[in-house]
Amino acid sequence: MAVRADEIAVRGRLTGMAAVRGWLDRESILGPVFVTPALLLILLLVAYPFVMALYFSMSNAFIGRPSEFIGIKNFVNLWKADAFRQTFQNAFVFTGIAVAFKLVMGITLALLLNEQLWFKRLIRGAVLLPWVIPTALSTLGWWWMFNSLYSVVNWTGIALGIMTPPGPNWLGQQAYAMAAVIMVNVWRGLPFFAITILAGLVAIPTELYEAAEADGAGPNARFWHITLPLLKPVLAVVVLFSTIFTFSDFNIVYVLTHGGPINSTHLFATYSRMVGLEVGRLGEGAAVSLYLFPLLVFVVWVQLRFVRKQAY
Amino acid sequence: MDRVTRRHFLTTTAGLAGILAAKVPPAIGQQREISYLCWNNFAPASDKKLAEIGQRFTKDTGIKVKIDHISHMGPQQAKYAAEVQTQAGHDLVEMRMHFPWLYEPQLVDVSDVVSELEKKYGKALSSGYEGAHVHGVWRAVPQYHGMFVCTYREDLFKKASLKVPDTWEDLYTVGKELKKMGNPVGIPIAQNYDSISTAGPILWSFGGMEVDKDGKTVRINSPATVQMIEWYKKMYRDCMEPEVLSWSDASNNESIQQGKAGWVHNPVSAYIVAKMRKLVTADGINHHRSLAGPHGRHETDTPRHIGIWKFSKNVEPSKEFIRYLLGKKEVYDEYIMSGDAFNLPAYEKLADHPVLKSDPKYAVLKGEGVQYHTYGWPAPASDKVQLITNSYILPNMIAKAVTGTTTKDAIAWAEGEMKKIMSG
Repeated sequence: MAVRADEIAVRGRLTGMAAVRGWLDRESILGPVFVTPALLLILLLVAYPFVMALYFSMSNAFIGRPSEFIGIKNFVNLWKADAFRQTFQNAFVFTGIAVAFKLVMGITLALLLNEQLWFKRLIRGAVLLPWVIPTALSTLGWWWMFNSLYSVVNWTGIALGIMTPPGPNWLGQQAYAMAAVIMVNVWRGLPFFAITILAGLVAIPTELYEAAEADGAGPNARFWHITLPLLKPVLAVVVLFSTIFTFSDFNIVYVLTHGGPINSTHLFATYSRMVGLEVGRLGEGAAVSLYLFPLLVFVVWVQLRFVRKQAY
Repeated sequence: MDRVTRRHFLTTTAGLAGILAAKVPPAIGQQREISYLCWNNFAPASDKKLAEIGQRFTKDTGIKVKIDHISHMGPQQAKYAAEVQTQAGHDLVEMRMHFPWLYEPQLVDVSDVVSELEKKYGKALSSGYEGAHVHGVWRAVPQYHGMFVCTYREDLFKKASLKVPDTWEDLYTVGKELKKMGNPVGIPIAQNYDSISTAGPILWSFGGMEVDKDGKTVRINSPATVQMIEWYKKMYRDCMEPEVLSWSDASNNESIQQGKAGWVHNPVSAYIVAKMRKLVTADGINHHRSLAGPHGRHETDTPRHIGIWKFSKNVEPSKEFIRYLLGKKEVYDEYIMSGDAFNLPAYEKLADHPVLKSDPKYAVLKGEGVQYHTYGWPAPASDKVQLITNSYILPNMIAKAVTGTTTKDAIAWAEGEMKKIMSG
């Protein structure tokens, strides 16, 4: 009797496994099974904080105290505060100039790296260093270089006779401070541009250049009529990512200037942190960080449409 | 490896399930442990002493104490915000200035501990009372306080036969000479606490204030503020360098320690660190009496307190630690001595502490004839006064004025920002 019972159990188990296998063979079931873990992660790590931020931005939340729903009052009040309007302007100046520099210098660097160089691999690896080092650490290095007391930049400039002592006050004057944070952002972001564009360059078939050369096209014509058009999809993606990353930059400004002098280098992330966490107005801080969300969604939508058009 | 029997497995699983359900560990696992979050003290030796006292506390009481340090400029507030929002983190937290007012609903009533300490050491100093006694309840225990004084390079002054200033106007006179000598005056005008700690006394000395005694009416738009800003403008132009706009709390210390600044407004920490690191400037640094204006001699007092979060599951052991650190006279003395006159006792009967006699350069810390106030004076302490501080309105107003904004516009801007906070 015992043997028969075991047999029934084994047979039952086999039937169960077959049923599971059958379900998994169906795409309508297997697909969701594969997607579910990722979806859960996104819900937990992205959707939940995002919904919380949305709620905070429409409340008068203050650290550790009960909050009330106040609609879009935070967004309206923020626009009235000149520190916020200054931050708004800073974000566009910072992103516009930094992305433009990274784009032009990134293409140039990629073209150079695409040439036959000695120690090509070593150089390509070294170029990536600024992007690999933790930003807070490398920015601390820059902070020392720009620090009014120890500035090696000014020391070198004065020694070379191109600066008059004591040299520019990099972090204390508004225009210089903005130049300093842009400079560090470009230094850090350039490898991302160069290496991604290099990947695009390598993918361009050499026959096209050979044919153009045979037709008498010079280096300039080859760049404008072959390289650039074929790089467009890559460039669009790189610019899209970089725009978003640069807009939401935090480390560089936080370490280098803390948003100063007089809020002249605050970006949305640093200002949001100051208002929300240092001052304690969580609601207003969340509103700062979400202010540009609709605009960024629009930018992403436009650029992705452009990328799709280029791809198909 | 022993074979796990079915019975053993079931017993262990059931036991674990029971512990998880009851959320109470068995007696063998109930090691009491508390954690304490405080800043990186500008007198580093006192942090080492604190760790040492913590170890002794563990040995004497069996309660483990974990002490974490954090930079006070920004990360501290952000960390507090995160702990309060998540209702998890440290048990004990350092509270500075009016922080207990900001975090009032989140802090345990520690009136019992303060009352024991006051019986022993006399009343808590007024700055401690203003900062930590919130709506009739002690929300944190006064721990120590630091005072702002004038720190200068005595050697340079003697070399150039400069007169030690007695008023803010005198400082302008010697400041011009110091700048010519390559040793400018170093008063930060940036988004940090030191900037406020200097701007406050200057404003008070000219007879000005941010908010009135009623704690509601914004009074920054006054002739006294105009005078104060005009003073800052000429100081910035003739006695300082633009670097002060980018300074952090540590920059003025570094500047005088590294031999650049000839005069800074700072507690004795600049001298303490110079002495500790055996810097060549240490011997030349000294302190002099606080400066006066038309409305007297005022200084900033910066009290520190220890609070206990309400979400802490270890309120009693935490109180026990405070009693051990501050309530045992010999331990408190040891702790104060380790701070080398940067951390001064926060209770009246201990005001004439031996630490003041440990170095002749600390004589000025007695502060005779000087009125000490916390930020926002004469407005009573409140969360809004702390918000005005944390928003750096005073230094930003001055920074605007010294970099080209008209005095009138800079004051109007500050008035608007302060009114927004008071009405919020």
